[in-house]
Amino acid sequence: MNRKIKLVIAAAALALPLGGCASGAVGEGFSSHYALIGVRSVNVGDGSMAVTPPRPWNRQRARLFDDIRQVEDWTLNGPLLDGMSFVTGLRSGQYLIRQRRSEDRQVPKFRSDMTAPEVTAMLESLYRVRGGAVDFRTLSLTPRPFLGANGFQFDYEHLDTDELWRRGRAVGAVIDGRLYLILFDAARSHYYQNAIGDFEALVASARRRR
Amino acid sequence: MCMRCVELNRRSLLVGGGALAAASMTGVAQARIRPQDMVPLIGPGYRPTDADERGLWQLMDRVEEEISGSSLLIKDPAITAYLQQLIGTVGGPAAKDMRIYLARVPDFNAMMFPSGFSVVFSGLLLRMRSEAQLAGVIAHESGHFLRRHMIRSWRDTRRKSDILAIGSMVAGVAGGAAGVNTGDLSQLAQLGTILSLLRYSRQMEAEADAMSVKLLADNGYPAAEAAEVWEQLIGEMDASARYRRRRRERRWDLFTTHPSPESRTADIKASAAEVTVPGRTYNNHRQRYLATIGPIRQMLLDDQVKLNDPGASQFLIETLARDGWNGLLRFYEAEVWRLRNRAGDDARAAQGYAVAVAYPDAPPEAWRWHGLSLIKQGRQSEGRAALARYLSLNPAAPDAPFIQQMIS
Repeated sequence: MNRKIKLVIAAAALALPLGGCASGAVGEGFSSHYALIGVRSVNVGDGSMAVTPPRPWNRQRARLFDDIRQVEDWTLNGPLLDGMSFVTGLRSGQYLIRQRRSEDRQVPKFRSDMTAPEVTAMLESLYRVRGGAVDFRTLSLTPRPFLGANGFQFDYEHLDTDELWRRGRAVGAVIDGRLYLILFDAARSHYYQNAIGDFEALVASARRRR
Repeated sequence: MCMRCVELNRRSLLVGGGALAAASMTGVAQARIRPQDMVPLIGPGYRPTDADERGLWQLMDRVEEEISGSSLLIKDPAITAYLQQLIGTVGGPAAKDMRIYLARVPDFNAMMFPSGFSVVFSGLLLRMRSEAQLAGVIAHESGHFLRRHMIRSWRDTRRKSDILAIGSMVAGVAGGAAGVNTGDLSQLAQLGTILSLLRYSRQMEAEADAMSVKLLADNGYPAAEAAEVWEQLIGEMDASARYRRRRRERRWDLFTTHPSPESRTADIKASAAEVTVPGRTYNNHRQRYLATIGPIRQMLLDDQVKLNDPGASQFLIETLARDGWNGLLRFYEAEVWRLRNRAGDDARAAQGYAVAVAYPDAPPEAWRWHGLSLIKQGRQSEGRAALARYLSLNPAAPDAPFIQQMIS
């Protein structure tokens, strides 16, 4: 059991949930990190987006001092294996994650005038800077409507320092200068295929709330 | 490990921090060690005889097995053969016994393991400007092996430290080496844990420096280039720290256990002057080096610049450009500004891309970002033309569908 808890804590740092990097949370149990999400419409992030999962997922609780209100993370089998992240209206000048100004490696900040290639470059740096990706490959970048706006779909895979290849898909759009995004990232073998259908269902169900 | 020590990441520090603190070394300032006094303590085909060293080698054999099968290794046959040939040249009497692995990690690092295999990080290849510089680092690592620093340090650490703390670290290391993934340490962090057991004293670093100077000169390399490696590293760390308005020392704690880099550079220069024979010609083989790493140079730059450490990246690019600007370096200079994303950086980056595409060797990505920048500036038709150029240079680009939509 002890090992399992450690694994979850480490996983949070390694598998890069957008909302917060768990550090030093030793001693907290599994249950305190997660809340069950049922098969119904739920508001995510700061509440400005609603989605309906096709099966139950687990929401990672936002952490005191280390949460970004517009970012929320879910997982099915634990963050080492799969994760779903929601970005709901990130404003210009904000970051996807909390970071100290003194860190030598910085995840770039979002700017309202960013084009899709710039948003995807920001995501790539996020994986390299905070996710420990040593190799990152763009598989495709295609236009795709999202939340009724002209958005994009970004497919990628990355090799992390734990020697695991992971694969991800992000669908997003910049609407009124704010970034809306759903991102799925999972171990390339099995776990990606296992839940990419859930991702598609979530994207299809996503709507903006005012 | 000795060039920049192993920079333990946060995860491994959490786990190994306690034992590390217990194993910290005390350094004593001393006079420069003369290269001619550096006699190798082992010969060809060395095998350990003492029980503790045999045990350490056994452990290291398992670590090597793990590392040699790692998916993080760059296995390009031309480059790995080149590195093997290099360590075979500057490795002294043990040259033919040593193995070398290249790991894809964008950090300045190289390390020697107690059983005579070395791991070089890809970030080192990016930073070296000549074969002589790289040979200097490899010779330095070989020096640790030839002077038996690992077993000496191991015995010293064991004598001074909390034996239980070390025992538990070794158990963790062995677990990792045996393929039991404990989940809380990446493989490379485990490397860090192993190497933290074998921290070298200042005396040992000075010995390895002196040894490397001797090995370089013996093999016809200009030995003074070993000092340039240090100067470049100091410059990079200062640039990175300055950007964050911090002092280098506050982060680079290796200098509390290593000789100050400035005095180290001075010592290497003095030693290099001693071993240089007037009238003999020395060659740094810069062209051969560049030709060998040419095929992966863009990848190396990409790995560095996308970490968005603007101070370090910019310093690095300018250092490489001391040997001449080209399209690749100009493109990545602009990338540093784009990712830095401070006020005015978009204009600076846009200008940078425009400069880069004027070089015939500009990578296709330079045209991509040049086009995107022009469109953002409202220069639609020029932007579309640049994007079309990007697609014509790289028709199979993974983002072609999106770019195509922007053009049409």
